[in-house]
Amino acid sequence: MLKIDSVTHSFPGVAHRVLDNVSLEVPEGGFFSLIGPSGCGKTTLLRIVAGLLAPAGSGEVYVDGVSLIGPSPEKAMVFQHFNLLPWRTALDNVAYGPELQGVPKKERHELARKQLQAVGLEQYVNHYPSQLSGGMQQRVGLARALAVEPKVLLMDEPFGSLDALTREYLQTELQKLCEKSKVTVLFVTHSIDEAIYLSDRILVMGRNPGRIVRELEVELPRPRWSYRARSEPSFAKLRDQLWDQLQNEMAEGEGQEGSRGGHSE
Amino acid sequence: MAIATPTDEVLETSILGRARNLRGSPRIIRVGSVLFVLAMWEVIGRANPLFTSYPTEVASGVLELMTDGRLAPALLTTLQGLGAGYFIAIAIGIPLGFAMARIRTLDIALNPYVAALYATPRIAIIPLLVLWVGVGFQLRLTIVVLSAVFPVIINVRDGAKEVDRNYMDVAKSLAAGRWQTLRTVVLPGSLPYVFVALRIGAQRAMIGVIVAEMTSAIAGTGRLLLDLARVYQTDKVMVIIFIIGFFSIFVTSTLRMLQTKASPWRAESRGG
Repeated sequence: MLKIDSVTHSFPGVAHRVLDNVSLEVPEGGFFSLIGPSGCGKTTLLRIVAGLLAPAGSGEVYVDGVSLIGPSPEKAMVFQHFNLLPWRTALDNVAYGPELQGVPKKERHELARKQLQAVGLEQYVNHYPSQLSGGMQQRVGLARALAVEPKVLLMDEPFGSLDALTREYLQTELQKLCEKSKVTVLFVTHSIDEAIYLSDRILVMGRNPGRIVRELEVELPRPRWSYRARSEPSFAKLRDQLWDQLQNEMAEGEGQEGSRGGHSE
Repeated sequence: MAIATPTDEVLETSILGRARNLRGSPRIIRVGSVLFVLAMWEVIGRANPLFTSYPTEVASGVLELMTDGRLAPALLTTLQGLGAGYFIAIAIGIPLGFAMARIRTLDIALNPYVAALYATPRIAIIPLLVLWVGVGFQLRLTIVVLSAVFPVIINVRDGAKEVDRNYMDVAKSLAAGRWQTLRTVVLPGSLPYVFVALRIGAQRAMIGVIVAEMTSAIAGTGRLLLDLARVYQTDKVMVIIFIIGFFSIFVTSTLRMLQTKASPWRAESRGG
């Protein structure tokens, strides 16, 4: 279970708050998405949860009731730009987390091989990232995050830089992996369809200041790859609701666009 | 940070492919160019041998220098100072560069000295060094260390600071410690810059030792060069210049080769 308790953050020299008193709770094994216009602080929130950024105001992060504000292997991150270490093979990239924890070479390689197999890359263990396509690289990124057996998976627009086909394919793969590992997921995206297809609940964020303005439950039955979930009437209805809400948020923040903080996503 | 996408790969192969098609012709142009310049040198050089000498004369100069027993000791003397000094410069410069990149206090404390000494032409210190350590091996050693160590420190430090934040994020998110981050991200991530540092350091070291020998020492390659020029043996002066030039090319290309070997993940090496 992941609990975020009243996180407030601002960047130096920026008057308004990037995040204002954001709280949320993802139940164990749950899949929650954060969606919102650019500048709403969703990536900043995820970086704070991951421990990559210390909240410049207040805020607490709990995993299974334990306060975990800094970096921890309990919370693994999957990055928008994959961030594979180019000097490591796929195998050593996946084995990186266990290596940092002091797992001996043979064991961590075995572990990494298993993870790569789970994402369908067992034939690419000795390839360097530059020899892999974008989709393959992100599968390695996912395997790397799962290799530390985290309780929480934090995903920052992980499929944002992939083509549409690869994207849909990986969305399905991700669902299967999550089901198997029972990991709790907090997923940042700017794609409405992606949010609906993957999530149990979608949290819409607004900007100036960044905060959660609405929560929407997705009640489509799982597993969603087993039928045409995207063609369901309830999928279309949710899409309309989200779209209206997001347009509102866009319009509201528009006037203050110029004063927005310098953080890029 | 550039992450290779399929488009990059396609681009790369097409460039390589084009180069391959033309492989025969640049070589012919290069050899032709060298032969042409040699021929011109022979013709013009013969008109006034004192000025530039000429290729056939230079060739016989090689033999004379080798047989009269002055060349080998001079080269050896220079190489000793160069090798020992370069080794010390690397042994100090690389760790210090990384330390300055990672420890802010150290960076702030040392930067004025490093920056000032890097900017001062090291040659200006030679008279002072003669006063301190004399004109022998220690002079060569000191000038080589002083010439090479600052460019090494600065390039390693800047390279280590430049390591992609995205990679640092990976280490941090997996709760890597300071040392782990240094070993698994900062060191491999700044490897191209370390090799730039090694190359610039080597070039500076060679300049330093030759100049020190020409101005102050009583032996060595630089001194021999000066002695030969003073008695107008232009052909032999040319021989020495060529030896220095080829040695420099050899060092640089060896370092490039080492870099390629040390970075099997990249098809080609970056940086100058």
